[in-house]
Amino acid sequence: MTKNPLAEGLRVPRTPDPCVVVIFGASGDLTKRKLFPAIYSLAHRNLLPDEFAIVGVARTPESDAQFRRRMKDAVRTFGRDPIDEKVWKRLASGMHYVATDFAAERGEDELFDLLTKLDRERGTAGNRVFYFAVPPSAIATLVEELGRRRGEWKGWTRLIIEKPFGHDRASARRLREDAHRYFNEREVYRIDHYLGKETVQNILALRFANGIFEPLWNRELVDHVEITVAESMGIEGRAQFYEAAGAIRDVFQNHLLQLVALTAMEPPVDFTAESVRNEKVKVLSAIRPPGARRVVRGQYGPGHVEGKKVPGYRQEPGVAARSTTETFVAAKLYVDNWRWAGTPFYVRVGKRLATRETTIAIQFKRAPHPPFAREASEGVSPNVLLVHIQPDEGISLAIGAKVPGQGLNLRTVHMDFLYGGAFRTELPEAYERLILDCMLGDATLFTREDEVDAQWALVDSIVASWKRERAAFPNYEAGTWGPHAADELLRKDGRAWRRH
Amino acid sequence: MAKTLTDTSVAEIEAWLEEHRNHEQPSQRTSVATHMAWIPDEWSRAAAGVMRGLGDRVPSRTLLLHPEPDAKGDGFDATITVDRFAGERSGVSVEIVQIRLRGSAAEAPASVVVPLQLPDLPVFLRWRGRPAFGRKYYEDLVGVADRLIVDSTEWDRLPSGLKKLSESFHCIAVSDLAWARTLPWRASIADLWPGIKEAKTLRVVGPRPEALLMRAWLESRLRRTFRLSHEDGAKLTRVEVDGEAVAPTRGLPCTPSDLLSAELEFFARDRVYEAAVRAV
Repeated sequence: MTKNPLAEGLRVPRTPDPCVVVIFGASGDLTKRKLFPAIYSLAHRNLLPDEFAIVGVARTPESDAQFRRRMKDAVRTFGRDPIDEKVWKRLASGMHYVATDFAAERGEDELFDLLTKLDRERGTAGNRVFYFAVPPSAIATLVEELGRRRGEWKGWTRLIIEKPFGHDRASARRLREDAHRYFNEREVYRIDHYLGKETVQNILALRFANGIFEPLWNRELVDHVEITVAESMGIEGRAQFYEAAGAIRDVFQNHLLQLVALTAMEPPVDFTAESVRNEKVKVLSAIRPPGARRVVRGQYGPGHVEGKKVPGYRQEPGVAARSTTETFVAAKLYVDNWRWAGTPFYVRVGKRLATRETTIAIQFKRAPHPPFAREASEGVSPNVLLVHIQPDEGISLAIGAKVPGQGLNLRTVHMDFLYGGAFRTELPEAYERLILDCMLGDATLFTREDEVDAQWALVDSIVASWKRERAAFPNYEAGTWGPHAADELLRKDGRAWRRH
Repeated sequence: MAKTLTDTSVAEIEAWLEEHRNHEQPSQRTSVATHMAWIPDEWSRAAAGVMRGLGDRVPSRTLLLHPEPDAKGDGFDATITVDRFAGERSGVSVEIVQIRLRGSAAEAPASVVVPLQLPDLPVFLRWRGRPAFGRKYYEDLVGVADRLIVDSTEWDRLPSGLKKLSESFHCIAVSDLAWARTLPWRASIADLWPGIKEAKTLRVVGPRPEALLMRAWLESRLRRTFRLSHEDGAKLTRVEVDGEAVAPTRGLPCTPSDLLSAELEFFARDRVYEAAVRAV
């Protein structure tokens, strides 16, 4: 068909095809806190198609009316937009709930009958998004049942799978094989909500839209890179999950390694899903397994966070009294490629640290020969380009400047750019962006199978090294920056973690 | 905070802004543009309403130019307002400088605004009413802006005005709010492709400029003629293609402030609009 000449130049946001979003785990916390508020915000901004429906699926018995009421409360409590009755009414008219157990014989029939009816009555055209907001152990059964009946609908199908994508490389591969038995990779959207954050995407804008940074972004001029994903909170009642996952599977394997990939990747030829992910996977595959001496793990003991006394990890409800689960990981990584050979990436993630902060710091090499008296330039540190991911989204550059007055004394000052100061639009929640992208068929901000595989390969190598030595936990006080060994990791190299 | 400076100078305005900045609490100050507006007396009230609606959406320095060529004495007065908008973690300040250009100063506005423009940032010029095509003060202001924003529903003698406007396309990117208001309808009409290839008539209830622009758009995109039936109205309320009503696409900017704010986000030339204007 000829290209539509009327569509050219129309500055309208893209709207997804008609579709149904099916949420498995509709009675869970994720649906209530994140998914539904995100879907409502999309509706609020008219970003959903007119022919749209949502089906919540869970084992807990509930009627459509109860489901709608519960979700309205959730939007009120956790949403960023106030309820607009007109918008809510339109959204609620397409909301349904199915109480079923897919593990039971013919447990899925009621759902499939409803989906067929919605296609007929709401014009959803057989297009389906299946969102797995369920524990990893439940995913295989759901995929199997959906896959067996894949031929019953004619439109497109997209599966959204929440992290963790497996527990290790082997289980991730099994999960992938289960999905690929019925669905191809283009139909699988592995969601890491970090990638939906505006400021994470801004790393790409900073690097590839500004000609001044890219020539400096390499081993010749960068001394080292520091990435911190710090949380001041504890495990917030997630003991069962956290005991099995630890910091390495909860954050290091996904969020942190994605930040490394975005920081270190080569410029993609374009901003399509495949081009971006091709470049990320090259970085992930080039990270050398660090070995035990370049990794530090830790577990918090009792301490104080923001003046409040907090218990140690082993005192958290549901945690084993002699638990050896790590709540902190620091590592010195090398990306073995032409751009980064020999440049260390110091990374750390942890819970109950001094503050909540996610930052990427690019520390440049010192000026080769500062022509100032030594005393005059003592206050000058090397230039640091700091990308703040959260909480204060923005960028700052540390530069040396003359102190006003006699003589030539120098100090480090910061040039700050705060994201919210220039763009007054409220930043969308990560889930809004990602759910919409999935409905639009754009997988750029989702993780591809080979990225997951490379991430697990690295994590498996670290975990294997830990098995050879029993950890002496707890080894850091809550409210501090982690174990001393993490500081030692940099001190050995004549460096130190940035002061916050 | 506001300050009125009578028979002032650019240096005095700059000095006040600088001093205000020094006394401000340490906060984020990021500007993304200089926004100039040429506001003859009869447009003052409408312009003030739009400015209030614009709020902090586009952190910028705004220069509102009120020409008073018949006023006594050559020179200008300024009222400077700094609006501070609180944010979740940081606030922004929007500087608004209202400048009354008296006597011959109204003939040379560029000489006043150029020193006040923020360096290296895009400059938007909102022209209220019909542009003074061919007049030096208009040409000068267009010469120091990157984008001209007009609203052709504010003009009389329309086809000739659009023809004149098209002569500026080679030197400045142009936005027309009348064109922007047709977007929800154009988006829905575009969805009629490919069936619309055979359509013959367009009926529009609304302002004449918008009707003319929509027909011209269809004709320039589809390269053939459409019969336009137009019924005058203050607002665009109905569009029909071959007798079938078209529903406007939901969720697009519609208030005057929203429309202006949206146009302040665009920098490139709108070639589709330019082609439509040439086809009017």
